Amino acid sequence: MAETKLLLEHAHDPSYRTLDGYLAKGGYAGLKRALGMDRQAVIDQVKASGLRGRGGAGFPTWIKWNGIEKDKHAPHHFMLCNADEGEPGTFKDKQLMEETPFLVIEGMTIGGYATQADTGYVYIRGEFVDAARAMRKAIDEAYAAGYLGKNILGSGYDFDLHIHMGAGSYECGEESALMSSLMGERGMPRLKFPHAPLPTVAGLWDLPTVINNVETYAVAPFILERGGEWYSTLGASTKNSRGTKVFSVSGHVNKPGNYEIDFGTTLLDLFALAGGVKGTLKACVPGGSSVPMIDADACSKAVIGYEEMAEVGSMVGSGGCIVLNDQVCIVKFIWRTALFYANESCGKCTPCREGTRWLLQILERIVKGNGQPGDKELLLEICSQIDGRSFCGLGDAAAWPVVGAIKAFPQEFDYYIANGRSMVESDLVLVG
Amino acid sequence: MSDVYKSVVKPILAGFGITRRRLMQRRKKYADVTVQYPDELREQYPRTRWRHFLTRYDNGLEKCIGCSLCAGACPARCIFVEAAENTDEARFSPGERYAVRYEINMIRCIFCGYCQDACPTGAIILRKDFELADYRREDFIYTKEMLLEEYPGQSEEPFESKVGGVYVNG
Amino acid sequence: MAAAPTTDTVTISINDVEIEVPKGELIVDAVKRLGLEIPIFCYHSRMKPVGMCRMCLVEVGFKQPDGSVRKMPKPQAGCTLPASEGMAVYTDTELVHKDRRGVLEFLLINHPLDCPICDRGGECPLQNNTLFYGPSTSRFIELKRHLPKAFPLSRYVTLDLERCIQCGRCVRFTEEISGDAQLAFRFRGANMQPTSFQLTEFESKFSGNVIEICPVGALTSTKYRFRARPWDLETKPAICTVCSNGCSVWFDYRVGKFVRLNGRVNEAVNEEWTCDRGKFGHDFYNSPKRLLAPALRKEDALRTANWAEAYAAILEAFEPGGNAVAALTGPMVSNESYYLLQKLFRGVFRSNNLDHRWTRHLSAASDRLESKMGMPTVATSIEAFEHKSAVLAIGTSLADEEPILFLRLRKAWFKNGTKVVVACDRDTDADSFAHLVLRYRPGTEMALAGGLLAAAVESGRATVPDPVREDLKRYSPSAAASATGVPEDRIREAADILGPNAAIVTTHRLLDVADAQGTLEYLAGLAMCLRAEFNLYALGANDQGALELGIHPELLPSGVALADAEAAAEVGRTMGIEIPREPGLGTHELLRACADGRIKALWLVGCDPFALHADRDLVQRALEGVEFLVVQDIVETEATSYASVILPMLGPAEQDGTYTNMERRVQRLRQVIPDAGDAKPAWRIFAEAMLRAQPQTPFFSAEEIMEEIARVAPAFEVARYDRLGHEGTRL
Repeated sequence: MAETKLLLEHAHDPSYRTLDGYLAKGGYAGLKRALGMDRQAVIDQVKASGLRGRGGAGFPTWIKWNGIEKDKHAPHHFMLCNADEGEPGTFKDKQLMEETPFLVIEGMTIGGYATQADTGYVYIRGEFVDAARAMRKAIDEAYAAGYLGKNILGSGYDFDLHIHMGAGSYECGEESALMSSLMGERGMPRLKFPHAPLPTVAGLWDLPTVINNVETYAVAPFILERGGEWYSTLGASTKNSRGTKVFSVSGHVNKPGNYEIDFGTTLLDLFALAGGVKGTLKACVPGGSSVPMIDADACSKAVIGYEEMAEVGSMVGSGGCIVLNDQVCIVKFIWRTALFYANESCGKCTPCREGTRWLLQILERIVKGNGQPGDKELLLEICSQIDGRSFCGLGDAAAWPVVGAIKAFPQEFDYYIANGRSMVESDLVLVG
Repeated sequence: MSDVYKSVVKPILAGFGITRRRLMQRRKKYADVTVQYPDELREQYPRTRWRHFLTRYDNGLEKCIGCSLCAGACPARCIFVEAAENTDEARFSPGERYAVRYEINMIRCIFCGYCQDACPTGAIILRKDFELADYRREDFIYTKEMLLEEYPGQSEEPFESKVGGVYVNG
Repeated sequence: MAAAPTTDTVTISINDVEIEVPKGELIVDAVKRLGLEIPIFCYHSRMKPVGMCRMCLVEVGFKQPDGSVRKMPKPQAGCTLPASEGMAVYTDTELVHKDRRGVLEFLLINHPLDCPICDRGGECPLQNNTLFYGPSTSRFIELKRHLPKAFPLSRYVTLDLERCIQCGRCVRFTEEISGDAQLAFRFRGANMQPTSFQLTEFESKFSGNVIEICPVGALTSTKYRFRARPWDLETKPAICTVCSNGCSVWFDYRVGKFVRLNGRVNEAVNEEWTCDRGKFGHDFYNSPKRLLAPALRKEDALRTANWAEAYAAILEAFEPGGNAVAALTGPMVSNESYYLLQKLFRGVFRSNNLDHRWTRHLSAASDRLESKMGMPTVATSIEAFEHKSAVLAIGTSLADEEPILFLRLRKAWFKNGTKVVVACDRDTDADSFAHLVLRYRPGTEMALAGGLLAAAVESGRATVPDPVREDLKRYSPSAAASATGVPEDRIREAADILGPNAAIVTTHRLLDVADAQGTLEYLAGLAMCLRAEFNLYALGANDQGALELGIHPELLPSGVALADAEAAAEVGRTMGIEIPREPGLGTHELLRACADGRIKALWLVGCDPFALHADRDLVQRALEGVEFLVVQDIVETEATSYASVILPMLGPAEQDGTYTNMERRVQRLRQVIPDAGDAKPAWRIFAEAMLRAQPQTPFFSAEEIMEEIARVAPAFEVARYDRLGHEGTRL
């Protein structure tokens, strides 16, 4: 199956990054249509499209938009764009913001219109300086041409959009931590439903808030322009996933990069799009470093789709597909992953704060050749104590890769622990 | 009648038999049973619990950290501990805390050894010195200076009788 | 509990037992209704739940229509989960036990386990939870986290970062309760640690509370450090006698010696908090300067004497009586002692020369707001502040003078949105949450008070008699603004905020300013016009009691004025004495009379005039001028060196007695620690002196005195010992 270019169709065209170029390529058609529609009709279009959140969890987007109060009682409604893309292996939002910033802005304006939001914030990861610059330039142009600000396109709808740069914490990609950070607090997650109201009821400053991923917003203009029904025909072969998804393919492929595919494409087709695997395929982490790894056998069976990936024991996640060939030592790979999560845990809850550090310490010991019998079982046990017990998803995300790797490649762990050296003879060096 | 003989008379006679047998034994054997204290001392069993010692590490630092767990465990409530903080200039024990006052009221002590069990550092041990009698009640308050061994390992040495006895084999 | 009180109830089941609980009640509280317990670390009922420690994980499901229970896939934190209809909670399943073991194992892997030397060892929630719910062994063989130990956060609080379990209670306390936000977390993940900002000193006025709420030994008291272990200590309930708030405390002592104070729950007063001044301000019990035996001046030197000699000398010197003798008192004396002192002076020495006041302005009996305007000066209870719509705090820095009232006011603002107007001539801690800050020039209190009243009158919300209206022309808002330096619109806004459900708060500190009488009258008038409550709170532990019980040159117990001959005689009959008719002198006059030699004998009860009186020079001349000086005190003070007789007095916790706090709440303090040396309770000293002067049946206990007080001052009827509740009773 070939690449379906929707978001990335004009990504490499520099003129697309200017308002004129964007308009020339049919930009803002979606917003214009949306502004002519009833607010509820916009949400219905999104519902018909079957769009699900592209940030990792796959939550139906229309439910969030529909959850905002219909009569605006609160002084403000907020539109938040989660552009704190920190997942190792994922780099799609960076490209979308740098090369198609107007798609994101238009998408947020459409969402803002549908939910009566008056203010939007784009929370951009601190390291994404180029992306923030591109967004800033685009926002300024949009303001100047009346696509943002007061009375957008004469419709009477006002929408302000601000950029907020994060300080580089992975945890701030978690939506409630992102809101904490945006409010000037420490970037720690907050209570979530059923412990506290949903963000759509009390989010940013306890006001109704919609928060979506960059890619989710970028899709919205196409849905509004061509209709939700049309969008839902893409990826119709899957159980419940519709449309296209940008995958960031990295690792041992010949042409690493972002590739946009329909849901229903097989994982191997995706690898082929990316120029094919270098060497022999050994394993793949299909959705960003936090999802469980699957072995080559499972890769050959995997079809991309939220439910379909779950069948092979992994997830679509944020679409950061890391391909590993037989030169990779899985134990070292997992050690490096654990190092990331131990560094990025915010420290709020006990299982994640202490568990990630312990996992790292054990894996480090194994990698240094001092593994002890029982370490593998201990790792699994610790993961079971983190998974589902932590405050937010970061704990789960730290545990899943370890569990996935041990399940997929138990022999590599046994060998490393027993012999004090890797099963894989390779020149690859992991830096940690 | 035979019942009375069997259950009353016979055991009495048998008891007298033991007395007779002892009377017949030679004089030297008495010495084995009766220790001529204070001229002689019987060797104490290895786990005998008598006088307390506060021990030291090999480098001379006190093992006691003044945690008061012995006082907490003591069923006779006869231990008093007051702690203070070590400084780099005045260091008594490793770590932050040491006992500035450590007192045991030997009249109250029942020598149960719970203090030894409770001690997290093995600082207090009960040793074989049983000659604890004294004349004044105040003298039974053993202070830290009295309890602390003068040099590491002192408490492990066999004790020397204060009244001049010599050891015999029991 | 954080959720608002509500009458709605929902039915939930806890371990398959159905129970009705208020809607939204947190599960961790709901299970207590069944006598169950969910272990916690980070949860604190007076702060917002955060769900950080994960110790309280429980299994939660929802009743399905067919009666079965569908469990949620993940265990949920009981401390953040509000009860909702049909919820089924399981606190005792194998999974829950495994989760608790897991969390405790995580908490302990980096905990130093130096329990034997930790001040918290023995009363440590981490120890307790580990014992009940934790694993017996650890599988952790890596290196523990090593961090600074015994880092001094302030002169009161020592931080041991290794022991910290990052529950955030201390950080949240400074954010939510004390409001100074002095602590915060820095770094993240396993390196997260609570510290003060930029390692500056943790200078909260309530820092001692974080020591108590810390569930491990990470935050420990510098003063209590290594002093004792919990099992060495004995504990009895007491009240704090450092300021007029009268907080309930636990008084911990070891072998009869005071060791530390902890907050005790009293919802009506301090909830469970203490201030640093109280928590760390009880050193006088162990002071090396403690007075332990009576002393008598013989040949220019003070020599230890026995009580009989001391009494004989005193009675001889006070024999002239009338205007030649006088007594001044301090604030830390019980109601019973105050009562007996005035009875001794009025009945035996036939003198009204009594005073407990040390402020610059002393209201004459006829000038008191009660008699002049019929306005009570203590109206609002501490608890009632929570539901006030607006509060004006004027001329006082509440955090320093009424610290627990400050916490209550902050809570009112934090939880119920009470609008607080702070008027003071300097920065105060209450400015941080004030709706409006009126920063006036020192000495212009009266202009501000007049301006506020004038603004209320101008807006038509208050009506005043014409003479007052004329008088107020001086203080039209614009005139007040130019006099005080407070912008005019702020004065008007402040006056607008006040209304029927408002309270005006000030303290005796206001009596030190110029024109105190006028200021008070304007404020009381403002309150009266707007039907708000007016409060002039006392500052010392039992200043209010001294006033109620007639330590005053013109007032008798129960507030009867001496000038009211009939009523005074009636009070005298109830007391069984004849009240001298001639009014006594106020503190300043009295000291001047001492300096002139008009007063021959002066009795100082628990007060050091050098510390309390503004005019040092006058005090020195007075103490030198008076022929015979009795200094009765707990510790040696500057005044003791002038004494003819020194009488050692017991501290509040060494005797039985009651104290009246600033909201007129009488609370009992039972004897906690044994008598120090030869010292006696103040009331016993007065009782014995009376006995020696006149044959009579003496009082044998404080309780008997309270019986008599209740007869003389009927307000104290509720304060009889058999009626005094656990939280004390307001008069």
